Amino acid sequence: MADIDDLSKPLKTFSHLAKLKRRPSEYEIVSTNLIWSTEDPKRPWAMSPTVPLSKWYIQYRNESPLKHPDWNAFRDPEQIVYRTYNMMQDGQEAYVDGLLNDHNRTEHDKGLSASWLKTLVRLYTPGRYPIHALQMGSAYLVQLAHASTVENCAMFQAADQLRWLQRLAYRTKELSKFHPNAGFGTTERKAWEDDPAWQGFRELIEKTLIAYDWGEHFVALNLITKPAFDEAFLRQLGAAARNHGDTLFGLLSDAQLIDSERSRRWSKALIDFLVKVPGNQAVLDGWVKKWAPLADKAIEAYCSALPDSPDAASSAKAAARDWRKSLGLAA
Amino acid sequence: MALLDRSEWYDVARATNWTPRYVTETDLFPPDLSDPFGLPMTAWEAFDEPYKVSYREYVKVQREKDSNAYSVKAALSRSKYYDSADEGYLSLLKLHYGAVSLTEYQACQAQGRMSRFSKAPGMRNTATFGMMDEMRHTQLQLFFPHELLARDRQFDWAHEAAHTKNWAVLGGRHTMDDIMMTRDAITTSIMLSFAFETGLTNLQMVGLASDSEAMGDFTFSNMITSIQSDEARHAQLGTPSIEILIKNGKKAEAQKALDISFWRVWRLFAILTGIPMDYYIPLKNRHMSFKEFMHEWVIKQFARQLSDIGLEKPWYWDLFLDDIENHHHCQQGGIWSWRPTVWWNPPGAVGPKERAWLEQKYPGWNDSYGRYWDVITGNLLDGHEEKTHPNCIPVICNMCQIPVSNRPGPKWKARVYQLDYQGKRFNFCTPVCKWIFEQEPERYKDFETIVDRMFSGVIDPPTLPQVLIYMGIGVVSNGGRDGYDYSWVDGHRKQAAE
Ligand SMILES: [Fe+2]
Ligand SMILES: [Fe+2]
Ligand SMILES: [Zn+2]
Repeated sequence: MADIDDLSKPLKTFSHLAKLKRRPSEYEIVSTNLIWSTEDPKRPWAMSPTVPLSKWYIQYRNESPLKHPDWNAFRDPEQIVYRTYNMMQDGQEAYVDGLLNDHNRTEHDKGLSASWLKTLVRLYTPGRYPIHALQMGSAYLVQLAHASTVENCAMFQAADQLRWLQRLAYRTKELSKFHPNAGFGTTERKAWEDDPAWQGFRELIEKTLIAYDWGEHFVALNLITKPAFDEAFLRQLGAAARNHGDTLFGLLSDAQLIDSERSRRWSKALIDFLVKVPGNQAVLDGWVKKWAPLADKAIEAYCSALPDSPDAASSAKAAARDWRKSLGLAA
Repeated sequence: MALLDRSEWYDVARATNWTPRYVTETDLFPPDLSDPFGLPMTAWEAFDEPYKVSYREYVKVQREKDSNAYSVKAALSRSKYYDSADEGYLSLLKLHYGAVSLTEYQACQAQGRMSRFSKAPGMRNTATFGMMDEMRHTQLQLFFPHELLARDRQFDWAHEAAHTKNWAVLGGRHTMDDIMMTRDAITTSIMLSFAFETGLTNLQMVGLASDSEAMGDFTFSNMITSIQSDEARHAQLGTPSIEILIKNGKKAEAQKALDISFWRVWRLFAILTGIPMDYYIPLKNRHMSFKEFMHEWVIKQFARQLSDIGLEKPWYWDLFLDDIENHHHCQQGGIWSWRPTVWWNPPGAVGPKERAWLEQKYPGWNDSYGRYWDVITGNLLDGHEEKTHPNCIPVICNMCQIPVSNRPGPKWKARVYQLDYQGKRFNFCTPVCKWIFEQEPERYKDFETIVDRMFSGVIDPPTLPQVLIYMGIGVVSNGGRDGYDYSWVDGHRKQAAE
């Protein structure tokens, strides 16, 4: 009889981790096997399986075509816990504070050209809508997760999106102080809702948000929409910013890309984990094929409005596609 | 620093509603998950969370809080505190961790729902921090009991409890699944954020923190106080919801959500907090009775919050006041009698001195609960320990999943409130649990209580050993025994000898 089964023997770790045969990491102790709604696939909650929320979990999580016999076996490749996330991001935020402070002192925004300001008010500050929508989508991944180790990654991602929503709000306000009549803080909703440059992303994001099957939502959000948006909005607009003397935007978008890269790393780890299960590859490929054209269209509409950036659209599309390819998925 | 103040840009970060074009608003915010009350999107844009924090502030403050909480933990691993800790107090810890650690984690998904589906941008952002907070609470409350596993296997329940079908776990899950896991975003903000977190977490968190401080367990009290500081922040997303509902003619709906959830959480937390306060904490360390605590921290404060916000006290307020005098005393008797079925070692702890204290705090205790314990004490004095284990099966409330039990003694008012629905008889502990069932029978009708499962074949054969295994006893750890190995009877023995 193993010690674990002998109740008179003390435990070195939680019994569910004892099979590891080594001391579990802090990450494993505090992050694994924490969801109680997955035990009975027909009845996620103690309430009747016919109440709307129970039906929702059954249909969109438990009966998703994307399957895994042991979702709890997934591990965040970076083993981030709440405590270390805050340490990391407090450091990152201190850096951003420094950037903002330096550039404010040197009156960076005053020196921006009139034409570049038009680009910012059209293509940058309306970004708070999609950035927030990606926050909402990430929260959906949280709400319906199969396993706590997946859920935690999605929580950090949602928090990252809120981070950049607030930094963008900050910049919107700051720009409006230097340029009170340029439309900062007043015209963004109209741009997001009506400007042709944004309609591709708006369509992509609205449709992603209602892709309620958990698996499809993950693919549409983390493999298609977020990478496409980040490539166009951070990488391509960031490059244009550098060419137009907007040093601050270039540095901020680099800082934001650090979070995007983390999202890609756990997304890749999850795909690696999922494709080992027969049947999943085809399901994932199907979703990628369904969503990628919409993302390409969004990138084209947005990037064609970028000033002096003839290659922006093709670069962004290629980067998004190359990344999907690197996951071994249909590109 | 030439940095802008939060107040200058904060509103821009919550001007994030737009009118969808490529999907319908109903698809984007399905009423079942979002707002079943039918308020327009613009009504929710008035949502103003009272406690504002930026991400920048959040990661800084939370980092500092954790550095504090975990440094105390480092000291803990060197200290001998738990080697000589009182067994009653250890029972408090085991009960707490088993009931709370994973509940905190399910709350992440509830916060996630508000973050995704609320039509109020302010709520969506506040709930994003809320879900991060709940992740923190989970992780702290797994990390600390993990340190205690080597000394006592019952701490394994911090992680395992929620994965078992222990009767005490079923009660907790039924309540939490009802109020936070199967409700739309707006109702969740009333039930979870307002009724539970504003109304009653003080009870668990502040109450336990002061108890553990009195016990000299600064690790635990420090951690719990730190957790409560997060709760105090994200709990505030319930008030603006209620205000907006009232303003838009939905007061009755908000009131009903409050009435249902406040009672449900109360029935649970009276056990989690009331029993430890009045029975598990050694007499010399008790500073307040549960009843005094309830009046000070819950009744006075919560009643004021209710009237500030424009809601009424729940219709059952008198029954609630009566329940404060009785519910946890009943369940102390029940849990102690059924001690082999739980994962902690509940002390009887009703020696002569404790009884005097109980009589003083709860006049009439001796004449009621005292009589119940008289019989038990008599059996123990006569060497008939076996007679202290009941051989009847209790009636379980079909709502709170807690054994139906009432004040014993001359004014015995034990009764079951029954309802026949679709050819089936349902039992309830109180008119309130029955009323909740009647509001939405379809929601509740097919959940089997632990006793139902003995008769329906789910637990097969329905023998005591099999029931125990079904509940995780003898599987995760051994079940409970009297925390003080009946030493509290010694005082009575001396009295009898005198
Ligand atoms: Fe919490
Ligand atoms: Fe909370
Ligand atoms: Zn009840």
